[in-house]
Amino acid sequence: MNSVLEEIYSTILPAAPYVIGAYALIFLGLFVYVLIVVLGLKKTEKQMDVLEELLAEKN
Amino acid sequence: MSNTKKAVKLPEAGGIFDKIAPIALLTGALLATLGFILTFTIASLVPGAAVNGVELIGDQMVSNKLLLSQNIFYFHVPVAIASMLALGFTAYYGIRFLMTKEARFDTCAKVVTEVALVFIICTMASGELWTRFEWGVWWAWEPRLTTYLILMLLVIGYFILRNAIDDPERRASYAAVFGIITFVDVPICFMITRMIPSSVHPVVFRTDSGMPPDRLVLFLICFFGMLLIAFALYRLRFRQVRLAERVAALKEQLDD
Repeated sequence: MNSVLEEIYSTILPAAPYVIGAYALIFLGLFVYVLIVVLGLKKTEKQMDVLEELLAEKN
Repeated sequence: MSNTKKAVKLPEAGGIFDKIAPIALLTGALLATLGFILTFTIASLVPGAAVNGVELIGDQMVSNKLLLSQNIFYFHVPVAIASMLALGFTAYYGIRFLMTKEARFDTCAKVVTEVALVFIICTMASGELWTRFEWGVWWAWEPRLTTYLILMLLVIGYFILRNAIDDPERRASYAAVFGIITFVDVPICFMITRMIPSSVHPVVFRTDSGMPPDRLVLFLICFFGMLLIAFALYRLRFRQVRLAERVAALKEQLDD
């Protein structure tokens, strides 16, 4: 094999954990934020429904 | 001359933008996933190597060093640009607040800065892993890294400032000014690799970038995916914050 190609391919395995780690961290970071926002939205919507019912009863 | 003040159109939740937000999130996630898959399938694993001058390897003319670790670029750069664009909106809403004193613009600025912080953290995390592999260290006081770190600290400072002030109007005014000051670092951070040519960070956006078309398409797929995700996250969070404000108002109404 060409010595330059050999040099290039020798870097694949050592680099793989860093590349996979970088992608995983970005996906994880965004997923966690989406989860926090969506769960928070559901909770607030439930609170809103309860309060609207209470207000309707009061009136 | 009329003394009537022109009504300010305030951003509100529940409109067309909120209807398309889940679709934007899904499309963004699909584009990002597609970009991720293509990065490791269609694009070659190692597009180049360190050679003297230009060398033909296989069918490829190789003249620069682009190893597997370079693939981090396809997510790292779009995420970084999304964070900078979000901070542009922080400054925009800050200016709008200072002009109108409408609390809604402060809410928008707070939400968009929060989204910017999430993207900044993702940029830092992915950049750190690249730095560790390429340079063998976790951190280097390199111009781009340093200016981006300052940007991250300013954004964290923005939220510390918000939490430190109780009076809503004073908090909004201070945060608006701080948001605008934070944005000043964005063009500095973006241009630093051009201003200091010795910087080891590559200048990505230039006319002779030499990015092959297949890699450019990959980059654009990831880029638009991240922009759609950022937009959707902003709209979802804004809807939640507005709803929470209405819940608080209803609670007050019930207490009365």
